[in-house]
Amino acid sequence: MSNKLIELKNLTKNFDDQQVLRGINLDIHENEFLTLLGPSGCGKTTTLRIIAGFEEPSGGEVLFNGIEISKLPPYKREINTVFQKYALFPHLNVMDNIGFGLNLKKVDKSVIEQKVKRMLKMVGLEGFEKRDVTLLSGGQQQRVAIARALVNEPKVLLLDEPLGALDAKIRKQMQIELKKIQREVGITFIYVTHDQEEALSMSDTVVVMNNGEIQQIGSPTDIYNEPENRFVAGFIGESNIIEGTMIKDFLVEFDGFRFECVDKGFEDNEAIEVVLRPEDLDIVEPDQAKIRGTVRNITFKGVHYEILIETELRTYMVHTTDYAAVGREVGLKFGPEDIHVMCRMGGY
Amino acid sequence: MKQFKHLIKPYIIWAAILIVVPLILIVLYAFTSDGNEVLTLHFTWANFGKFLETTYLSVILKSFRLGILTTLICLVCGYPLAYIISKYSEKVQSFLILMVTIPMWINMLLRTYAWMNILSDNGLVNNLLKMLGISPITMMYTDFSVIVGLVCNFMPFMIIPIHTSLSKMDKSLIEAANDLGANPFQTFWKVTWKLSMPGVVNGVMMVFLLSISTFVIPKLLGGGQYMLIGNLIESQFISVGDWNFGSAISLILAVIILIFMSLMKKMDKQDD
Amino acid sequence: MKRKNTIFSKLYVVLCLAFFYLPILVTMIFSFNSSKSLTRFTGFSLRWYGELINNMEISKAVYVSVSIAILATIISTVLGTITAIGLSKSRKVLKELVLTINNFPILNPEIVTAIGLMLLFSSLGMTKGYLTMLLAHIAFCTPYVITSVYPKVRSLDPNLANAAMDLGATPYQALTKVIVPMIKEGIFAGALLAFTMSFDDFVISYFVSGNGVKNISIVVYNMTKRINPTINALSTIVIVVIVVVLLLGNLVLPKLQASAAKKMKPRTRRIVAAVTAVIFVIVMGKWTIVSQGSHILRVYNAGEYMDLSLLDKFEKEYNCTVVYETFESNEMMYTKLASGETYDVLVPSDYMIERLIKEEYLQAIDWKKIPNKKNLLPEVKNKDYDPGNRYSCPYFWGTVGILYNKNVVSQEDLDKEGWNILKDEKYKGNLYMYDSERDSFMIALKALGYSMNTKDLDEIQEAYDWLIDQRDTMDPIYAGDDVIDNMISGNKAMAVVYSGDASYIISENQDLDYYTPQQGTNTWYDAMVITKDCSEVDLAHEFINFMLDDENALSNTEEVGYTSTVKSAFEEMKNGTYEGIDSYIPKIDNPKNEIFGYQKPKIKQKFAELWTKVKAK
Repeated sequence: MSNKLIELKNLTKNFDDQQVLRGINLDIHENEFLTLLGPSGCGKTTTLRIIAGFEEPSGGEVLFNGIEISKLPPYKREINTVFQKYALFPHLNVMDNIGFGLNLKKVDKSVIEQKVKRMLKMVGLEGFEKRDVTLLSGGQQQRVAIARALVNEPKVLLLDEPLGALDAKIRKQMQIELKKIQREVGITFIYVTHDQEEALSMSDTVVVMNNGEIQQIGSPTDIYNEPENRFVAGFIGESNIIEGTMIKDFLVEFDGFRFECVDKGFEDNEAIEVVLRPEDLDIVEPDQAKIRGTVRNITFKGVHYEILIETELRTYMVHTTDYAAVGREVGLKFGPEDIHVMCRMGGY
Repeated sequence: MKQFKHLIKPYIIWAAILIVVPLILIVLYAFTSDGNEVLTLHFTWANFGKFLETTYLSVILKSFRLGILTTLICLVCGYPLAYIISKYSEKVQSFLILMVTIPMWINMLLRTYAWMNILSDNGLVNNLLKMLGISPITMMYTDFSVIVGLVCNFMPFMIIPIHTSLSKMDKSLIEAANDLGANPFQTFWKVTWKLSMPGVVNGVMMVFLLSISTFVIPKLLGGGQYMLIGNLIESQFISVGDWNFGSAISLILAVIILIFMSLMKKMDKQDD
Repeated sequence: MKRKNTIFSKLYVVLCLAFFYLPILVTMIFSFNSSKSLTRFTGFSLRWYGELINNMEISKAVYVSVSIAILATIISTVLGTITAIGLSKSRKVLKELVLTINNFPILNPEIVTAIGLMLLFSSLGMTKGYLTMLLAHIAFCTPYVITSVYPKVRSLDPNLANAAMDLGATPYQALTKVIVPMIKEGIFAGALLAFTMSFDDFVISYFVSGNGVKNISIVVYNMTKRINPTINALSTIVIVVIVVVLLLGNLVLPKLQASAAKKMKPRTRRIVAAVTAVIFVIVMGKWTIVSQGSHILRVYNAGEYMDLSLLDKFEKEYNCTVVYETFESNEMMYTKLASGETYDVLVPSDYMIERLIKEEYLQAIDWKKIPNKKNLLPEVKNKDYDPGNRYSCPYFWGTVGILYNKNVVSQEDLDKEGWNILKDEKYKGNLYMYDSERDSFMIALKALGYSMNTKDLDEIQEAYDWLIDQRDTMDPIYAGDDVIDNMISGNKAMAVVYSGDASYIISENQDLDYYTPQQGTNTWYDAMVITKDCSEVDLAHEFINFMLDDENALSNTEEVGYTSTVKSAFEEMKNGTYEGIDSYIPKIDNPKNEIFGYQKPKIKQKFAELWTKVKAK
């Protein structure tokens, strides 16, 4: 990654007596597609609004190109936002909505028109200049909102759950398009969502947040494959999380058995948690595996079956394309690379 | 659900008798002369011809001038108030709006009398000035006293619709404008003001309607020489006894108002 | 972007609210004033609250205002709600039509609506009173209910009622159990609006009521003559009640609802039903009382023109009910009479009596039934307007003159200039004219040396020019009865007033004196007459006789301040209470003085029109 564009340093924010941000430290780089991911109330939107300038942090710093900007009003920042419900001006048509920022800068009319047309082309709305924004579909409004922000050529584009109001099919389509646009304009996108699939499929970097704190920062694969704690593991994808002990490097014990693994760097005999992704588990004959159990339930999910297997200590979830009849005795098999060991945390 | 459509019937009869017939009667009186008797109708344009005399035209002009002035003052003073109120928390907002509404419940005439006592030559304001050693000012029976009375009585009708449209406004639009580089002043003119237009139009219509047709406040605070359309109509019915001319003026007033209203509505629609 | 409001904007809010509440505050403060003054606070007292309780006129008006507001709210809410529901299911054309018609009373100026309704009621020959007022109030409240309920109905899922009926509800049940609860917010808002509109209404009530039925606004309006702090006491109570109700509604109710959410419901419903029932009983009760009183005498008199305690006395002595109503001017009285209202006894002025006689509105008085006629002053009898007093019995009498401040206006100027002092630029902007075409033209005609009863159009034109000239050079205020309060407070140096008002004003402000110019003035007589369609002829005669009684006449003239036509009362006042106030003794020896005569409609109209033009600058 290239140089740092935005640095958040020990950012805190209180609303009344409630602390919604508890010390956020985050570096955002040029041309990065960064996603703030977390459940509602985790502080991701507040973080975004502080970057945009709609909120002032209670403590900490926001550096933009190395300059502190937390007191700078939003209209003086080279940052633009795509709002959750688009916030298109109902009294202006598509053209005037997109040209709003340029108009304020007293840009020449013909230049504005040209730029707006180019933007409309990019978001696939050619010929929509004179349309009434209130009569557009959700997807179209979304595109106008993106065009309106991008036409100002900001250094950073902030997107606050921009796809939340769209239906599933258009969502998918827009995800692809957003990524394409980001590559095309080559600027930093900061994207807020609670949808882990969206986060994983679009981002360069995912920041998982919970309860006003950052849980993990990493690439989508890192986040998925190497969750740092139970919260991240639980929030991203489905998982079997099992408490266990790290006997020593490359050897972990849980459910009464010892398994080889690829993790190291923990203290010997440290209490840890293990994540086993359901799709990493294989169902085998009982005698071929250490962990054994009985099939309790099987649900057809389209691509795979979701099978619940009850063992002595817990119920495992398995995603597999193989059918297993309810009541059948089975074994659960997984390799050392399927075991993800993480620190044990209280609370979650 | 078809059964429910019959529910409208009582009101159709009611409205026909108590809304439509009175209007027809006004039209009938306006176009006849000497006719409180139904059998001896004389159709005539005379009542309208009479109206074209400069005196009566100047009454209309004066009413318009006063109506526009009152509306303007209510808008200029009421908009900031509505705007400030809409910035408070919801609890404070509903309290302040209540405070604005309460005076409307107190008899308008009583409040006007109180203004007479405040503004008269030996009234409260002048007594205060005297105590401060400033020479008294004549305020009663002037444009000033009439406008004070009108503004005090009608400003809530401006504030409430404007506040409603401001408080209904999506706050993210303001943020969006800010985000796109508009400073607070630009944000106000390009977004807030434009989006509060429906409230402004409503308020302007209400205040103008009320102030152009009022007759009690100008009579009490402006004296007998403060002749507006409302006073003219009232005097035709109550003291002159020329119901035909009175009806003709009422009709003209109603038509002017209706034209004004439809113009305002059109403006409102174009703004969208 | 929650920007905190700055100190400046907070100050602005406070200033605006201060502006709205200043008149209310003044009203409240002066309700506790020990004197009648509304500009000087002389001490704390509850006197006006005491008078409020004893003031029958005000308590009746409160009753009328409240009962009409409640009935109009209930009826217009029900009518408006079912109409709004019906509208949503109607064909488009019908819907548009009804909504357009419905908008008329909202968009039309109130005064136009009022006049339309007045014309309607008088063409239908309906007696103006409680019922006409109620109908009018329902008529202008219902459109507001419809406009606030209809949008709520329209936003309802059209399948809701179908779902209810699918589940076995009858259409009526679907309406009451599903639709109405869903739109109750709109209904409540509409009802609140209707109540406010009705309770506060003046203009419409003013035009459509009559026969003694008055709401608070009308009573207040009629009080201009002598602003009475009693009404301040009333409005203070109204303000307190409103604030208490609002506090209860905003603070206590939600708590109550939260604590006893569902259990309360049937009970509240029962309470509402009980309250409604009580109101109806009271309403019906009042109705029957009014219509039960075996003998009712309808008296129509000028405002503040009678000692009202005499009415109670008369009612007791003769076991009857007096419906007492007041008018602002003779013309207003005539308008009401012409629009078909019936009264038994009227107290109009001379010229109006002449007109009423000519137009056969009156019946001859049977003087045998009035033994007290011997009490009358000889000077007031047998005047031109009614030779031989066949139709009228003099009530008060006097002149029109100039009330002036002795410290400002010199006696010399008065003697030298007479009426023309009203054009003396020394007193520019320092005088009140009386807002009456007759009196103003009288002044101009007398100043020019003509008869005030002239029919000569040139003379009238000259007088008109005099008035226009005076208007342009002197900036006079054309005041109504508010001149009384203004002169007592010493606001201006001169005013044209009736001698009776002058007496009262001088008794309150010793700096003033009264002058009748040598060029002559109007001597006027107000007299009691009996209408042709009087239904209580004997009682009417007894009433006239009662007013001529020595003692009653004295208390009447004491209370009102006008000059009595009864000898003993006149002498008593002249030498007693009003000693030295010579306005009490009308100077009728000037041969140039005249009484107003009957004017042909054409001339009358001419004067009215010219007067309108004088005022409409």
